[in-house]
Amino acid sequence: MAKVTREMVEKSGIDVDQLVELLVKNAAAELTTFYYYTILRINLIGLKGEGIKEIAETARIEDRNHFEALVPRIYELGGKLPQSMNEFHDISACPPANLPDDPTDVEAMLEVLVGAERCAVRGYTHICNMTAGKDHRTYDLSQSILNEEIEHESWFSEFLGEGPSGHFLRRGETSPFVSKFLR
Amino acid sequence: MKDFSKKELAMNNGKNGAPAFIAYKGKVFDVSKSFHWQKGNHQVLHDAGEDLTERLSEAPHGVELLERFPVVGTLI
Repeated sequence: MAKVTREMVEKSGIDVDQLVELLVKNAAAELTTFYYYTILRINLIGLKGEGIKEIAETARIEDRNHFEALVPRIYELGGKLPQSMNEFHDISACPPANLPDDPTDVEAMLEVLVGAERCAVRGYTHICNMTAGKDHRTYDLSQSILNEEIEHESWFSEFLGEGPSGHFLRRGETSPFVSKFLR
Repeated sequence: MKDFSKKELAMNNGKNGAPAFIAYKGKVFDVSKSFHWQKGNHQVLHDAGEDLTERLSEAPHGVELLERFPVVGTLI
C-alpha cells in the first residue's frame, strides 16, 4: 500500500474503502468482459459478423488493458483482489456479456456488446464524478478508461444503426488513452 | 398492489433471502432479479430496502433503467 497516497485521498473526503471496492468491481467487470468478448468475437462470423469481429477484438484487448491498469491503483490504495475467479465473476460491476441464444443473430450480439460498454461508461463516469478534484490519479485513470469505453460504445452503436460514431477504428496500437498506465 | 411503510420497505433489503425492493417517487420496485442488485447492494453505494428518490439524481443513469423492473407497491 502507498501509505501517503491513501492518506491524501482520505483527506480529500473520499471514503477510500468504498472507492477501492468500486475499483475492484470494475476491474472484475473488465476481466470477465475480456473472457466473454473472446467467445463473442470467435462467433462473429459470416457476411454480417466478420465486419464487427475486428472492433470486438480491439474492445476485448482494451478491456484486458483496463484490468491491468486498474490493479496497481487498487493495491496503491490498500485494496486487494478476490482469490478466486468465481468471486471475480460474482462481484463484477456489470452483468455477464453472454453469447446470445442464437449466435448467428448479429444484432443480438451487438446488443450484448453495446450493453456491456454502456454499463462500463456509467461505471467510470460515476468514479470520475466521485474522484474529480480529489483523487487525481484515480480520476486520471478512470477518465482514460472512460474515453476508451465511450469509443467502444459508439463503434457498436454505429452498427446498430444509431448514427455515426464520428471516428475511425484503431490503426495498429490499442489503448491510446490508457497506455500511459501500462508502461 | 401493496402499500409499504418505510419499515416494511426496509425489511425487503435483499439480504438473507429477502427480496430486494427499492422505492422511487412513491413506487416500490422489485429489483431482486437484477445483476446490479445482488445481495441487496448496488455499486457499493446503495442498499435495497430504501427510498432512493433523492439519490437517483446522482446516479450515472436515469429512471429508465429502474422502470425495467416490476412495480410491486406504493410507499406510504
